[in-house]
Amino acid sequence: MGKKELKVAFLLALRSLQRGSRSSVVLTVLIIAMCFANMVFLPGLFNGIGQSITKQVVDYEIGNVLVTPKSGDKYVMDLDATLDLINGMPGVERATPHLSKGATLKYRQRMLGVSVRAISPNDEKYVSPLYTKMVAGSYLGDGDTGEVIIGKPVAGDATIKEEDEFQASLGGVRVGDSITIEFANGYTRDYRIKGIYSTGWSSADNTVYVTMSDMQLVEGKPVDYADYITVKTKPGYSEKFVKDELQQYGVSQKVQTTADLMAKSMGKALQSFAIINMVSLIVGIIITSVVLFIVITIKTLNSRRQIGILKAIGVDKEVIMHNYGFQVIIMAVMGIFFGILLTSLMAVYLTAHPIVTPEWSATLYLTPMDYITNSLILFLASIVAGYVPAYQVSREDIQSAMRA
Amino acid sequence: MIDIIDLRKIYRMGDVEVRALDGVSLDIAKGEFLGIMGASGSGKTTLLHMLGLLDEPSSGQIIIDGTDVGKFSDYEKTMFRLYKLGYVFQDYALVPDLTVMENVSLPAMLRRDRDDEQIKKDSFHILQQIGLCDRRDHLPRELSGGQQQRVSIARAIVNKPDILFADEPCANLDTENSRMVLDLFREINEEMQQTIVMVSHEDWHKEYFHRIVRLKDGKVVSDGFNGSGKHA
Repeated sequence: MGKKELKVAFLLALRSLQRGSRSSVVLTVLIIAMCFANMVFLPGLFNGIGQSITKQVVDYEIGNVLVTPKSGDKYVMDLDATLDLINGMPGVERATPHLSKGATLKYRQRMLGVSVRAISPNDEKYVSPLYTKMVAGSYLGDGDTGEVIIGKPVAGDATIKEEDEFQASLGGVRVGDSITIEFANGYTRDYRIKGIYSTGWSSADNTVYVTMSDMQLVEGKPVDYADYITVKTKPGYSEKFVKDELQQYGVSQKVQTTADLMAKSMGKALQSFAIINMVSLIVGIIITSVVLFIVITIKTLNSRRQIGILKAIGVDKEVIMHNYGFQVIIMAVMGIFFGILLTSLMAVYLTAHPIVTPEWSATLYLTPMDYITNSLILFLASIVAGYVPAYQVSREDIQSAMRA
Repeated sequence: MIDIIDLRKIYRMGDVEVRALDGVSLDIAKGEFLGIMGASGSGKTTLLHMLGLLDEPSSGQIIIDGTDVGKFSDYEKTMFRLYKLGYVFQDYALVPDLTVMENVSLPAMLRRDRDDEQIKKDSFHILQQIGLCDRRDHLPRELSGGQQQRVSIARAIVNKPDILFADEPCANLDTENSRMVLDLFREINEEMQQTIVMVSHEDWHKEYFHRIVRLKDGKVVSDGFNGSGKHA
C-alpha cells in the first residue's frame, strides 16, 4: 500500500463525507461525541466529588499534613515546642492545633449536642479558609474569650418550626445572641455569638469554634496539648516532602499526609468509583463500536455496486477498505473533538455552578490525561468497528458486488 | 492481441446447469472495433466480463498479448485492469461524490507512472476531446445521461488502455445521445488505434463495428467483418 493508494483512499473518503449524506455524517459524529461525553462524564464527576471531598477535608479538617498523638497518647503533648519545631521546617506554611470537646448548646428551649473545637484563630487563617466563610458577624480573634462562631446549620432558621427541621438546630440564633455551652466536664458558660459561617462541609458546619484561650478556661489549666496539629505546606512543596522533613527532624508524633489518610478513609469508596467508571467506559465503547459498525455496514452495503465498479476499473481492494477506514477515522476525530469541546464546556459550567448536596459539592474534574486516554480508546474502538465491515465488503468478488 | 480458447462458463441454479458460455473461441486483433451481439441471455455480457477479468471462466483460456490472464492472482488482475484495460458500463457507473474531473482522473491517480501534473493534463485533454471541459467541476447528477456516459468513456481511456470494453453503453440513452457516444468510440478507435470490444443488442449499432460476433446460447453463431469496416 503506497502513498498514491492512500491518497486516493483519503480523497474518496473525504468526498464521500463532503458530498454524501450530510445528516448521516452529522448524526454519526454526534453519536461519537455523546459516547465520548458518556465515557468521561461519570468518571469526571466522581473525580470531581473526590477532589471536592479532599479539598474540604484539607481545608477544614486535616490540612496537608496531620500530626496526631503517638501510639498510646491521647494528645499531642508539649504543644508550643512542637508547633515551634514544625513552623520552623522548610516547606511549612503554618501549623495550627485543634482541640475538640463534646458539649451541649442551650438556647431558649433548644438543646443541641455538638463538638466544640478550639483553634488559634490567626494561625488557622493560614491553614483553613474558614475565616472567609462568614455569612454573619465576624471571625474569631486570638484573644477572644466568651465568644464563639457557629455553623449556619447549628444556628438554624427562626422561620422553620422545630418539627420541620431537617437537622436539629438552635432555632435561629443570630450574631450577638447569647447561648449557653455545657461541656462534658461540667464547665458551663454563656457565650456570645460573634459570627455565623457556612463552609458547605457538613462536619465543619456542625461545629462550634472557640479560641484556645477559652479552652484553657474550660480545661481549668494551661492548654499545652491538642488532639492534633494540622499543617499547611508552602506552594511548591509536596506533602510527602514535609512529612519526611517532620519525621527526620524529630517530630515524634504520628505524621500522615492527606493522601495517606484519604487512601485509608476513602479507599473503598474510590475503588467503587473505579469499578463504576470501568463499567461506564466499557458500555461507552460497546455503544460506539456497535453504532459505527452499523453505520459503516449500512454504508458499504448501500455502496456494493459502486465498490464493484471501483474494483472493475482497477482500484485495489485495500484502497476501498481504507476509503471506509478513513471515513471512520475522520468521523471519529470530529466526534472526539466535539466530545472534548462538549465536556470542557460542561466542566466550565459545573465549575461555576457545582452540583451541591448536603455532603459535597461536585465539579467535573478532568485532566489532560483523561482526555488523551479516553480519546485514544474511543479512536481505536472506532477504527476496529469501521474497518471490520470495510474489510469484509472489500473482499467481495466483483460480480456479486456489481449485481447488488 | 486477445486469444480466446474454448471458453466456458457454467452457472448452477439449484439443480439446473446454465451454460452461459459454451466453448467460445475467438481472436481479437489490435485496433479492432468488435461488436458482440445477440439476444438477451446469449452470453455476451458474460463473455465481456471474462475478457475484462471481472469474472472467471469455468474452463478455457484467455491470452492477452501472449499472457494467460487466467493464471493471474487477484492483485495482478487488479493491476492488469488498471494498466491495460478500460471499461464503460451500461449505467455509466461514475462515483457520485466525485466531480467530472475527479472521476476521469481516478484510474490515473492510482498509476505509479503518472504524476499529478500529468494526470491533470491528460484528464483535461480528454475532457476537451469529449466536449465536457466546461462541466469538469460538476457532479455526475448534474449531467444528462449522454454526458455521464461520455465522462465514463473519458475515465476508461484516461490511462490509454490497450483494450476498451463497453457493456451496452447506449442502453440507457436515446438515439441522439447513443449516436454521440458511438461517434466518440469510432473517433477514439480511428485516432488512437484503440481496440474496442463492445456489447450491444441494437441492430443499428452494427454500422460502427469492424467486426461482429453473434452469440446464441453461449455459442458463437456468426463471426464476420462488417462491410464498411476497415478490416472488411
